[in-house]
Amino acid sequence: MRISCPYCGERELGEFSYLGDASPKRPAVIAADGGVAPDAEDVFYDYVYLRDNVAGEMSEHWYHGGGCRSWLVVRRNTVSHEIKSVEIAAGAGARTGHPNQERANG
Amino acid sequence: MAEFAWKSRSPLAHAVEPGRAGARAGAAGVTLTEIRDFALVQVMARRGTWAETARVAQQLWGIDAPGGPKAVFGQDVTLVGSGPDQFFVLSKGSSVQDPVEPLKQAFAGIASMTDQSDGRCMISLSGPRVRDTLAKFCSLDLHDSVFPVGAAAATSVDHSAVTLWRAPNADGGSPLYNLLVFTSFADSIWHLITESAAEYGAELGYAA
Repeated sequence: MRISCPYCGERELGEFSYLGDASPKRPAVIAADGGVAPDAEDVFYDYVYLRDNVAGEMSEHWYHGGGCRSWLVVRRNTVSHEIKSVEIAAGAGARTGHPNQERANG
Repeated sequence: MAEFAWKSRSPLAHAVEPGRAGARAGAAGVTLTEIRDFALVQVMARRGTWAETARVAQQLWGIDAPGGPKAVFGQDVTLVGSGPDQFFVLSKGSSVQDPVEPLKQAFAGIASMTDQSDGRCMISLSGPRVRDTLAKFCSLDLHDSVFPVGAAAATSVDHSAVTLWRAPNADGGSPLYNLLVFTSFADSIWHLITESAAEYGAELGYAA
């Protein structure tokens, strides 16, 4: 399998490390009154530990440690290994204009 | 307080034995030279300041900062792209005490700099069989059509991160590649390269 890094171009798998599912979003655990939401612990447990075992297309975090050291979001089919898209992950480097930039800064 | 200056030494001080190595017949197929006299600064633009960083680079050195995996050759410096919104500034002269100091004011508030002069070791490779040698340990396609003069790459060699770029051709017309490796891996990678070059006959040396 090869991954096309947006900065470096196509590189062998050995240059990358796999982190896992890129879809979980850090839950908001602060309630409207400013306190901690009552279900915070459960919601956070799910966010940290529970993962789907996807057979098909999913979005994943990969780290290009053997190259430009960027974090990437890769849309990959776990059955066929077909890669649909590769983007620089939110907050990686100092690049602006990335669609996820707002989330990274906010 | 006593005033003293650390004297930097090449990590390959013992490893490089100048002269022929490997096959002895005919002209050397590969020339390997450790470049000892250089200063290296990594410049990393802060979030959203790439355009400004590139503008300052243009003012300082009169060349475009590499916005991708490229090497840009100037009068006094070579700028080598090392990742998104960051590049190396390579210049001659390891005698410079602090190569960051003269750049501090120009990049103040827009980019962060670190002195990498003693963190990396620089090896230049050339000769008619240089690409055959590189092919043994580098997974990149180095053909002229994809990796011409001015192309650069951050990649892995022997499980270690390196920066590789192609400089203007060597005397004699062969391609010339420069490799920056971490000093602590330099000995191991030098060994790897000399072993890989042995069958073509290698001319080893260093430039002070």
